Amino acid sequence: MASAESPLAGGLASVQITAFAAYLREYGFAIGVDEVADMLATAGLLGLEQPKPVRFAWRSIACHSKQEWSQWNDLFDQFWFPQKVRGTVRVSGQTRPRRDLRAAVQDLHEQLSAPPSSAPSSAQSSGMGSALQTGHADLPSTDAPRAMGGASRVDPLHDRSGSMWWPDEVTELQLLAKQIYRGLRPVRTRRLRHSHQVDRLDVRATLRQSASTGGALPLPVWRTPRVIPPRLFIFVDVSRSMESHAAFFLRVARAFVREADARVFVFHTKLVEVTPLLRRNSGRVQEKINAVTAGFGGGTRIASCLQSFADGGGRQGLTRGARIWIMSDGYDTDEPEHLQDAIRALRRSGGQVVWFHPTRTAARSEALTRAHTAIDAFLPLATLTDLRAGARRLM
Amino acid sequence: MPAHAQSRTSPAQLRESLALAGYVADESLSSAVWLAGALERPVLLEGDAGVGKTALALAMARALGARLVRLQCFDGLDLAQAAYEWNYGRQLLSIRLHEANGTALAEQDLFSRDYLLERPLLQAISHDGPCVLLIDEVDRADEAFEAFLLEVLAEYQLTVPEIGTVKARNIPRVFLTSNGTRDLSDALRRRCLYHWVDYPSLEREISIVQTSVPEADRSLIAEAVPFLQRLRRQDLIKTPGVAETLDWIRALHCLNHHALPDDLLTLVSTLGCVLKTREDRLKIGTDEVRAILEQQDIAGVASMSHSAA
Repeated sequence: MASAESPLAGGLASVQITAFAAYLREYGFAIGVDEVADMLATAGLLGLEQPKPVRFAWRSIACHSKQEWSQWNDLFDQFWFPQKVRGTVRVSGQTRPRRDLRAAVQDLHEQLSAPPSSAPSSAQSSGMGSALQTGHADLPSTDAPRAMGGASRVDPLHDRSGSMWWPDEVTELQLLAKQIYRGLRPVRTRRLRHSHQVDRLDVRATLRQSASTGGALPLPVWRTPRVIPPRLFIFVDVSRSMESHAAFFLRVARAFVREADARVFVFHTKLVEVTPLLRRNSGRVQEKINAVTAGFGGGTRIASCLQSFADGGGRQGLTRGARIWIMSDGYDTDEPEHLQDAIRALRRSGGQVVWFHPTRTAARSEALTRAHTAIDAFLPLATLTDLRAGARRLM
Repeated sequence: MPAHAQSRTSPAQLRESLALAGYVADESLSSAVWLAGALERPVLLEGDAGVGKTALALAMARALGARLVRLQCFDGLDLAQAAYEWNYGRQLLSIRLHEANGTALAEQDLFSRDYLLERPLLQAISHDGPCVLLIDEVDRADEAFEAFLLEVLAEYQLTVPEIGTVKARNIPRVFLTSNGTRDLSDALRRRCLYHWVDYPSLEREISIVQTSVPEADRSLIAEAVPFLQRLRRQDLIKTPGVAETLDWIRALHCLNHHALPDDLLTLVSTLGCVLKTREDRLKIGTDEVRAILEQQDIAGVASMSHSAA
């Protein structure tokens, strides 16, 4: 790229780099003062005329995990070369509610003049706030519009009523998450670790330790079997058919991120990890997740998303004792037999799969029916009461 | 910005040096390694097993003509095995000798460098010439050891309570590798430059094989490497890495094959170099191998017609 075309070569480099660091922070990157100083120093070493070396070098400085590594190129282009990425994302649904008064009046007129069948269902408009109060938010009855067979459209989760929680409910959820995590049985390994508890004598370490006193004073070193806490992976369906439930599921997932260091993924037609977003104490998590999922396209490809996790970045983490929680209504636009294969791939290394569904009974889709034997438990989850009731089965 | 000889070179020159040392790095990886030298920072290499993380450190030592100090991490690794240990036997012997001779021995005489057994971390820090420190599979070590590493990685120094702080005169090039068996702490990650080492592209893997197994026939490499690339897309428990590719091609060369064997049973019998679990061995039979080869033929025809057009 010619130097004239590179936005990096313009003036105010330090201001722009600082703004870029702030932009990365918005996406969960841990960029501190040291990283910004390193980026500036690198820019001084490499020059800013050629974006490619700078792109590579900054990537090593700014990224600290595989997830950030895979996000990097998109974010770099979005910030420094917006003209390249403009228009590349096609969103078929409405990304967020229009806010100006004229548009709102226009919407109202359209709703009034539209036939009654196109009115929004009560289940969708009530949101999770009402679900918390009334109990189960069952899927609407057959006369109401619903996702049939999981064919969902891109329509981000602009319903935020589920995010309105009372402080005592938030506290209760956190406590519940802590209790459940404590109840998860840790994985006992064959390896031993040093311990102050009298369990097994480590002869070698004892001899080494006692050598410091010439053997005059034996200093025993004890060992005990090493246990590792189970890893928790939560997959939340954020497709259209889950619009009124996803906010609640994400809130639950967030509690487990804080209490159990869970990794959380949202899926729709693609799978994206949102753990860094959920670690932040921000009311705008929902908007961020909307932005992440905006360009996904139509459909709910549960099997493909789970399979991509099992084959890709998740393979290393899916060790013995891993807990995999899938929060979805089960309507899948993939081939029905694929879901069973994907779930078997997830539990290949000894993981345990629990399916949370927002209705009283699990969906009777063909995919879920076939995958039934591969899933350890189905649990309804629409309220805190459900989570409390299901806690024992999770442990 | 620390002044360092490395900063006088460029990423492209470093890439050439690594190639001469037998490591084919892509542009991104050579940039990261160059930058680590320029900023005097460790590099954390993450990736699946067998993609060339450890090989990079070995090649870097060869390229720089530096001493390689390797610390293989494992569960239970402690300070005495990683950094230093007092030579208790020698201290006791010295005490007895001084007692026998009737000479006095001061306490500080017993706690000097003479009685210190240097383990890899201290060896790397106190080495006078260029040095590459490889901390291999750091994810296998305990969290406590990870915390201990922070001082070494950030300040290139090590504190021995009895004699004080040992600071590096020559900053070693530090490479940490991780297979991701557990999450490393944010503190450790932030002290390192990060690079995710992925499976190589077809062109790069062919280049790696040609560099590492020059005696193998080009036709064998041209057929075997695309086969391996397609095999990686299968649902395997242990995806074969570059090391497996090299092993397999060496094995085929030793068996006097100049191309992939036509007999599928023969081909399957050699896949033990590549497939390392029982499940994978059972999964990839002659039918699967035939399907992979057919895909390869279709792709080959498509690429030929595309290039002709």
